[in-house]
Amino acid sequence: MSPLTALQNYLVVGALLFALGLIGFLTRRNLIIMFLSAEMMLQGVALNLVAFARFRGNLHGQVFVLFMLTVAACEAAIALALFLVLYQRRHTLDVSEWQDLREPGLDPTIDEEPLPAPPPEEPMPKLTPAGREPEKVGAKSDVSGS
Amino acid sequence: MNTPPLELWHILLPVGLGLVAIYWMLPGSRRMPPVLGGLLGAVALLAAGRFLVRFEVVTVELVLFYIFSGLALLAAGLMITQRNPVHAALSFAVVVLSTCGLFLLQAAPFLMAATIIVYAGAIIVTFLFVIMLAQQSGIDSADARSREPFLSSLAGFVLLGSLIYVLQINYNTKQFDDVSARLHRALQADTAEGMKNALEEGYEPGNNFFKALRRVEVEQSAGEPVLLGKKIEISDYEQPWLFAEADGDTKTMRQVLEHLAATVQAAREMTGSRQPLPQLRMSSFAGQASNELLPPDNLGRPQLPAANVAGLGRTLFSDYLVAVELAATLLLVAVIGAIVISFRRAEAQR
Repeated sequence: MSPLTALQNYLVVGALLFALGLIGFLTRRNLIIMFLSAEMMLQGVALNLVAFARFRGNLHGQVFVLFMLTVAACEAAIALALFLVLYQRRHTLDVSEWQDLREPGLDPTIDEEPLPAPPPEEPMPKLTPAGREPEKVGAKSDVSGS
Repeated sequence: MNTPPLELWHILLPVGLGLVAIYWMLPGSRRMPPVLGGLLGAVALLAAGRFLVRFEVVTVELVLFYIFSGLALLAAGLMITQRNPVHAALSFAVVVLSTCGLFLLQAAPFLMAATIIVYAGAIIVTFLFVIMLAQQSGIDSADARSREPFLSSLAGFVLLGSLIYVLQINYNTKQFDDVSARLHRALQADTAEGMKNALEEGYEPGNNFFKALRRVEVEQSAGEPVLLGKKIEISDYEQPWLFAEADGDTKTMRQVLEHLAATVQAAREMTGSRQPLPQLRMSSFAGQASNELLPPDNLGRPQLPAANVAGLGRTLFSDYLVAVELAATLLLVAVIGAIVISFRRAEAQR
């Protein structure tokens, strides 16, 4: 591939990754998957930068990606700590629980259809008791032998 | 603009198919059977690979590019449509690994290694830890629904379509390819008459080859497009050509055409790119300065510094020294912040 054609191909892949990450971020309700989609947007941008670095013949694009990696790591650390704290308050990772944080004047997003029932919890297994029965007071003297 | 119109359906077909596929696969109550959505997504991916990827010759690099980018896009589509967050995290790991493969194809081995270590090694493992601590049941009831699937898919794919359209307009090399084809045909002709006919075939009389060559557009500017006649001195080729043609000297004509073909090919690589002004003093710690032209390698590409890690180190600690120090401070602040966020809760609960 000529350098220009190669550049175009990699830019198209970067744009695709970015668009898919955008859709995932806007659509999903789970905080973890939203954050993973944001990271995928960053991957698309990184691909763009590295493609341009190769096209131009210098390393400036790669240095930019290195710094982006640093910022993404910091972002992941703080975001995940925050997700754990948010989970401890509401016991769910659903982002719709936190609609009180929206701007004043905006209507809350109401589910058109109710959420499905949560999957049933498996019952705890019932184990047979092991070991000897404790001696009953007064009962053993009635039964003889057995 | 006198550039020929683009094939719009080359863009619309994969984008439209992808839109329907993603909309069908996103979690919701009235879900299509996932096989249908998956098939449509695969068809969209194949259409994108056929119509949006260009190449001249099939090389190993092209095959590897297809493999890595196909895997990356497949895993990306899977990631945003999975209900179970653990499966989504694993799909994201596949995306990261494929993107690292693409980095390696673009001569970025240090970035490949660093991204695998940091993303796939640290960030994804931390995600899985959080899922383990927070959502032990696997699928929550909220994971089975999406917010506004149609509008967000539409927004995402409209953005994608416009990005690809702008890319195709900016890097539109149809005029250059036309000129190169004519030069190629002329070089294969035997007689002077044959060469001249090959060059001027299809043009109106009076609109000869060199006049058309001057009008080839190199950059799409905000006002007037920048024409090739401004970038290269065409008369350097036109004069010898006309003299040789008058003499019937096919050898000189062939030489002129070959020289012109090489120059046109080099100019084609600059289509759609902005070059910084040549009089700016730019550092060369990171490889060639952006406004210099070093001789390219044998595949026609500009040469990157051979030792990638050494080159990155050299440029990080000279050009980007302040940014490195700031990034280190940012990491420190982030670590302290993460500790403070989680620690305060534990104290308040006591």
